[in-house]
Amino acid sequence: MSLLQVRNLVKHFPVRGGVLNRIVGHVHAVNDVSFDVSKGETLGIVGESGCGKSTLGKMLIRLIEPTSGSIHYEGKDITSLSHSDLMPFRRTMQIIFQDPYSSLNPRLTVRSLLKEAIAFHGIVPRAEMDDYITELIRRVGLRRDAADKFPHEFSGGQRQRIGIARALVTKPEFIVADEPVSALDVSIQAQVLNLLMDLKDEFGLTLVFISHDLKVIQHFCDRVMVMYLGHAVETLPCLDLDEQVQHAYSKALLGANPIDDPDQRRPLTILQGDVPSPFHMPAGCPFTGRCPDVVDRCRAEMPPIIERGDGHRIACWVANEEAAQPAAPAKSIG
Amino acid sequence: MGRFLGSRGARKFMRNRLAMASLGVIGVYFLTAIFVFVGGISMDATKQRVLPKHVPGFLESSSLDQRVEAASHYLNEVDLACRLAERRDEDPYGILVEKHLAERIPARLTPDEYNDLLDEAFGILEEELDGVDDLNHRPELEPRVQRLEQIAETLYPVPAGWDGFKYKLRTFLGSDAAGQSISVRAVYSIKVAFQIGLVTSIISVLIGSLLGAAAAFFGGWVDHVITWIFSTLSSIPYLVLLSVLIVVFFGTIFDNPDRPFLSLVPVYVAFCSTFWIGPCRVIRGETMKIKELEYVQAATAIGFGRMYLLIRHIIPNTAHLMFINFSLLFIGAIKSEVILSFLGLGVKGQPSWGIMIRDAKDEVASYFFWQIGAATFLMFVLVLAFNIFTDALQDAFDPKHVD
Repeated sequence: MSLLQVRNLVKHFPVRGGVLNRIVGHVHAVNDVSFDVSKGETLGIVGESGCGKSTLGKMLIRLIEPTSGSIHYEGKDITSLSHSDLMPFRRTMQIIFQDPYSSLNPRLTVRSLLKEAIAFHGIVPRAEMDDYITELIRRVGLRRDAADKFPHEFSGGQRQRIGIARALVTKPEFIVADEPVSALDVSIQAQVLNLLMDLKDEFGLTLVFISHDLKVIQHFCDRVMVMYLGHAVETLPCLDLDEQVQHAYSKALLGANPIDDPDQRRPLTILQGDVPSPFHMPAGCPFTGRCPDVVDRCRAEMPPIIERGDGHRIACWVANEEAAQPAAPAKSIG
Repeated sequence: MGRFLGSRGARKFMRNRLAMASLGVIGVYFLTAIFVFVGGISMDATKQRVLPKHVPGFLESSSLDQRVEAASHYLNEVDLACRLAERRDEDPYGILVEKHLAERIPARLTPDEYNDLLDEAFGILEEELDGVDDLNHRPELEPRVQRLEQIAETLYPVPAGWDGFKYKLRTFLGSDAAGQSISVRAVYSIKVAFQIGLVTSIISVLIGSLLGAAAAFFGGWVDHVITWIFSTLSSIPYLVLLSVLIVVFFGTIFDNPDRPFLSLVPVYVAFCSTFWIGPCRVIRGETMKIKELEYVQAATAIGFGRMYLLIRHIIPNTAHLMFINFSLLFIGAIKSEVILSFLGLGVKGQPSWGIMIRDAKDEVASYFFWQIGAATFLMFVLVLAFNIFTDALQDAFDPKHVD
């Protein structure tokens, strides 16, 4: 059974305007997204800036209230739990943020930062608190004396390690990693990713890993969900991503990644046009304006999500029709 | 505290020489205020006669006219005492010591000696100086005036030693229309200024920050109510509002010049109820920014309640703005106190710079600048120091400011 079940999750942010400050419309940040995450799995969520992936991640741990839809954690509906009923889930679900600079309170030392969470949830007895903190700091790869320093005394990579320690301090089972390495240098990215991988095995974590970098996702995740303008357009296992990918947008994302072999080239599709405004959603497929394979049906109707087996789900008229005609040769790239 | 001094902003502040100098000036003022507060200068000392009226201060030499007038003051005192003593058949010294001018205590002489000196002095006054229209243009009369002053000094000797030093301190800025020491009053006013400045700015910053932070953090109707209150208050002209708030206290126990501490309460109330608007507005804006930051979200994800987030994670991060606002309000309070006292609405029953300036308004027309000069100079230095201090504080603690 899956640890996390998300069904038809929607988030619309109201936009106010005019003299009377009335709601004049909505920004459609997340539209009708459903997925499961099974225990121990790492799901990657990829998409460009503003596609709603961070909003989705924050909704999963109830930092943002969903407009509609449901989130089940271990079979229990947590979508509309009150502050106090949510408390046990607060301990088990944590988040790692993107920006290592704004994600740490500049006035708290690492120790006081971790201590308040330990004391709040009663993770370890008061007497063992200091040992626990020392061990955790060592585990995320920081020096022992880091505990009594302030955030501004650390580099970006070190601060991200503190952010990871903060997420781990409550001994969670499920962590949303919201672009945890996007703000770091490439060399530091690798260190932090490796740390996350080790910790995932050691603590038996289930992760939702949000990134705009498909390369990182491929390296790190079991499955990937591609989002475009608030829609989950394609979900597939990472293992043979290059061969299996079908949706035109996923292909374009993949094509943007350089291959680390100068003799191989992917067919590069450079997308034309702009992302439509999430304020005025197009009627049909959101990708219509930029899709190279667009057909008439795309503009009129939203494609349904079709299960293709092997955990591959896709929302695209063209890809679905190709699949419906067994005679047609499977399209492959790479 | 050690944490604060080691912070980047504090180090940056300490490197700024002008800022440290201004901090030193503020420190001197503050110590003076404490000195007055613990009784170093009593309220009585500000009301004591130390000199004849309108004696100029140290830089200006008096004209012959003024010198005659000053000397006559002492002569008249002794003359009155002698006549009274004669009528009552007492020793004139007994009456005279009651009328000492600060440290300047009359000399102990026999009644005959008093009378001899007085006879000589009045002789000079009546026969040689009386009827001279333009004394200032008759330098040949100077020796006579000097003799007159000698007699005055024999009657009222200038003390020597420690008393003499105290007397110099009291008189070096001259005297006002009631013969009170301008220097003592001006220095005593430092205490009044600090009292009003500290009390009102601390209370206003506390009220303003809490309301501002609560408004931004809780949003909704809390925000609407608080925003409505401060926009309404700030739409009323500031001086009108202050005056109305003070007039409300007229006729109550707070309107009593004999109880100077109580009579400051209307000033406190008026200032606090208008001054909190500034910090409230600023802290509200800052809180709106901070509450969206990721460390607040991270704390939410851990499960902390909203009050805890506000008090532990948000308000401490607006502390630099509280400092700056405190310093701005401090100057504002001192300047407003002067305006109100000038209008007769502010400080009652004790001297303040505003009251000194008000008292000086008739003197200025006759070229007597000592009182207004002393009050405005002390105020100017303090306000300037505080402005430099605030500016440096802002530079040092503003994360967006680049050297």
